[in-house]
Amino acid sequence: MSEGEAQAAAGVPARLPLTRREFLYYLWGASMALFMAEAGGAIVWFALPLFREGEFGGVFSVPVSEVPAPDTGPKEFPEGRFWLVNIGQQTVADARQPGDYPLEAGVRAIYKVCTHLGCLYRWVPVNDRFECPCHGSKFLKTGTRIDGPARRNLDTFIVEAVDAAGQVVARTEPTMGSQEGSPVVLGPAVVSLRVDTGRRIQGAPNSRPGGGR
Amino acid sequence: MKWRILLGTLAIVAVAGLLGMIALRERDRMAGFTQAYHARQIEVGAALFENNCRTCHGPQGKGIDGVAPAINAADLFNGQRLAAIGYIGTVEDYVRGVVAAGRPIPSAGTNYPNRMPTWSQRYGGPLREDQVDSLAAFIMNWEEQATGGAVSTPAAPGEVVGTDIALTLPEGNADSGQALAETLGCGGCHLQSTVGPAWQAEGTQPGIGGRAADRFAQPDYTGQATTADQYLFESIVSPGAYMVPGFGQGLMPGNYGGRLSKQDLADLIAYLLSLR
Amino acid sequence: MSLFRIHLPILDEIKAKGLKPALRDKADEIVTRITAGLNTAEVRGVLRNDPPGRPNPRLKPHDEGFWLHMRPTYYHNLLDGLYPTFRLGWLSTFFFAFELLTGVFLMVYYTPSPLVAYENMLNLLSNVPFGRLMRDMHKLGAELMVIVVALHMLRTFVTGSYKKPRQFTWATGVVLLGVTLILSFSGYLLPWDQLSLWAVTIGASMVEAAPPEMVGRTLNLLVRGAPEIGANGLLRFYLLHVIGLPLVGVVALGVHYYKVIHHGHSLPPGAEEVGVDTAKRVPMEKRTYFMPDILTRELFYVSALIALLIGATAFFYHAPLEPHADTLVTPLHTTAPWYFLWVQGMLKLGDKVLWGLIVPGVLTGMLLVLPYFEVGPSRRYGDRRVGLSVAAVAVCAMAILSYMGTPHYGVSTSADQEAIATLLPQTHPGPLRLAAWGELTVGSYEASAWASAPTASLQELLQTFNEDIQRVESPERTAVEGIMVIEDWQPGLKKITLRVLWTATATGQSGEYSQTAYLHRDSNYGQGE
Repeated sequence: MSEGEAQAAAGVPARLPLTRREFLYYLWGASMALFMAEAGGAIVWFALPLFREGEFGGVFSVPVSEVPAPDTGPKEFPEGRFWLVNIGQQTVADARQPGDYPLEAGVRAIYKVCTHLGCLYRWVPVNDRFECPCHGSKFLKTGTRIDGPARRNLDTFIVEAVDAAGQVVARTEPTMGSQEGSPVVLGPAVVSLRVDTGRRIQGAPNSRPGGGR
Repeated sequence: MKWRILLGTLAIVAVAGLLGMIALRERDRMAGFTQAYHARQIEVGAALFENNCRTCHGPQGKGIDGVAPAINAADLFNGQRLAAIGYIGTVEDYVRGVVAAGRPIPSAGTNYPNRMPTWSQRYGGPLREDQVDSLAAFIMNWEEQATGGAVSTPAAPGEVVGTDIALTLPEGNADSGQALAETLGCGGCHLQSTVGPAWQAEGTQPGIGGRAADRFAQPDYTGQATTADQYLFESIVSPGAYMVPGFGQGLMPGNYGGRLSKQDLADLIAYLLSLR
Repeated sequence: MSLFRIHLPILDEIKAKGLKPALRDKADEIVTRITAGLNTAEVRGVLRNDPPGRPNPRLKPHDEGFWLHMRPTYYHNLLDGLYPTFRLGWLSTFFFAFELLTGVFLMVYYTPSPLVAYENMLNLLSNVPFGRLMRDMHKLGAELMVIVVALHMLRTFVTGSYKKPRQFTWATGVVLLGVTLILSFSGYLLPWDQLSLWAVTIGASMVEAAPPEMVGRTLNLLVRGAPEIGANGLLRFYLLHVIGLPLVGVVALGVHYYKVIHHGHSLPPGAEEVGVDTAKRVPMEKRTYFMPDILTRELFYVSALIALLIGATAFFYHAPLEPHADTLVTPLHTTAPWYFLWVQGMLKLGDKVLWGLIVPGVLTGMLLVLPYFEVGPSRRYGDRRVGLSVAAVAVCAMAILSYMGTPHYGVSTSADQEAIATLLPQTHPGPLRLAAWGELTVGSYEASAWASAPTASLQELLQTFNEDIQRVESPERTAVEGIMVIEDWQPGLKKITLRVLWTATATGQSGEYSQTAYLHRDSNYGQGE
């Protein structure tokens, strides 16, 4: 390192040449700074909570036998704070679904918390939709908002479909356009679903009266 | 003076490297610790079971007829019992719940004379929550054995040996007898002489095979046996006929005559005779 | 769109001087503010070890800054190295700060309730990255702090640095010693395992023994929050440990260090005339300035200590975790923490009030008032032979009393229980739990036939067992035998029974004592936790 570069690195007036002692001090200082950064990272890793399986924040394993049948009502998982909905062909063809959010068949894990102000909405079978008791937001089984003060569709969790060997055969991916999580198809090899409540995908913006962008 | 700067830098760099190495191994270390502590929980549970549960549920959790059901049983771990009562939790939840809260009313289809008491301090029992968890861990550790291991199927009614000790038995196989003794859990009382006489030789005292020959000749003997084989036969199917001094009445289950086939008993006797 | 111009002074300067010089001056200004008085050139001068200008700018951070306001600007060159103080006072402060830091991080994962404290420890060790490291460092720091504080007190005594005018400094130091010991003791309870509960119960019982009975009972209730240590006791100890004692410690430390600086570090005894204290009058040629010399040394000590502490906890030192606290079972051979073993030793001498309360109380009182009655003017070693001898005797006495406090001395139960306790101790894993699980072959073994055991581990264990049961042999007991029975109990679980049998010579009755342990293949004792 030439004198000029060293001085430029140290950012000081170009008057005193850099001695070895001074340079060693800078090296020591740099090592201490790096160590502080490493220790900071270690502290962050230390302090970030780790969730075990079955704890909200962690992963929930749902065997295929507990997944609701396609086009039936949603099934709730209170400890995981999500509803599992199985979108079949009838639901895909639901007339109430706003065109901005096209659908595919498959399973979604919908977060139980309303996207308006945090209440837990309910499933109302008579109306075949979710309705929130706090301010009246209404959502279809697919999670799409169709009425009320909420400003986006319901949030979903990332779902992985796992086969008997433990391999992931399908996973929720962000859909083109809306960036919402795509439903996961239950292929024949799938043995269980893993719902990761630590990774949530926000619902797409939806603020038009009657649903839509 | 400069050496301090160099050594100081070296120390910091070394410790940064060490911290990195620790970071890389943390996940494995944590998993290892979790496993080790689960194992220690099972150990604690084993001791608790011996002290609190064995008297009703039998050694090795095989149950005692008319007292308490078997816990070390396939139908618990494969979910049959849970399905029978419509329980929707896991087997572990079920076990923990029963241990903690006991059985205020008998389970459907059972008629045990005494109700299972509550064990958790939460419900008035003597055990802390972590002790209840340890017991559950110990009981769950039977799953492998209960569902996969050798199953002792009770003999069909026409084939049981009955209680007539003069009956001629087929040739017995000592190895089969040993395996059967393990499956039936005899060791729970008979491997160390705190509940029943120890089978193994202990110090100067010979094993049960050697003792059997002398036992029926003693003046205080109250049974009917005239040979060592018959003595052992009687000890198993009619334990009340004669109690070895120093051991309690009514601890040995009295229904082996109705559970074992002739071959089973012959194998057992052959095994016991081999323990000198 | 704004209605007024924002005035940025930096832009004016750039216009006046040009971009580069303006930025350089700004950087200079920032450096001066951060260092509380040294501009960039002066900082570089410190780092190059150039002679300082006049007036010495390196005094400004001490005058104007917070962090260095109490630190001396120079040390006497007889005191700038490790000898004669070994920087033990500095080291004590380092450990205090170290414990504060590691302690705060541990607080993230701890709740002081008997229902969850132990589970919190398990969580920390099994589900928190660096959890074990943090806990081990905190415990190692605590043990080292007690040692360092005690050594600091010893050094101060030996160099006579408690004498006039430093008597009050010494008194605050004794207070700090008490704070350190109680901090360590209160922290001991927090894991809520068997070791914690019973070691602290013993100590708290000393408080209960204070005469008169009324005072003792009240103190006990205050300290434990209940007649026995339970939820209330744990919470009170926790509060003491995390806020009560640290506050007292910080205040006492502040007063103590202020007095040290106010009077000046005392010189080595031989460097001054008898009865003269020249600590505040250091001639120019004997000065070692804080910057850069002392600062570099201290940074070096910090670097070396961090490396040592993390290295030790990574490779050697692990805080143990015994089974869950059980208020109904006291383990055999429970001891106090090592720094209180001397009290436990004294308790074996006689009446607990005398030896557990009065004597330690008197000793502490004597320590406190020592400088007010030991007023000999000379600090020189040759003139203080009596004092130094007393110190040497005191150190030896502490060592002997500490040995007496261990279970080896004066606390044995019957020989048969001791024999089994050697293999299956109740306060730590012990040889049986540490043996290789696979080598514990199923079967029934006699101790006297140890040589014919099938595996090396079994031979070792049975040999130890055999040696110990020889002590059961006595005029009253003969025909002593030891038996170890190992059975397969569950998948991966073995049941081990140790039995000692004997015959009473008088009556011919046989007696036995046995103990059972269960060992799982995966329980992995001996990893330090």
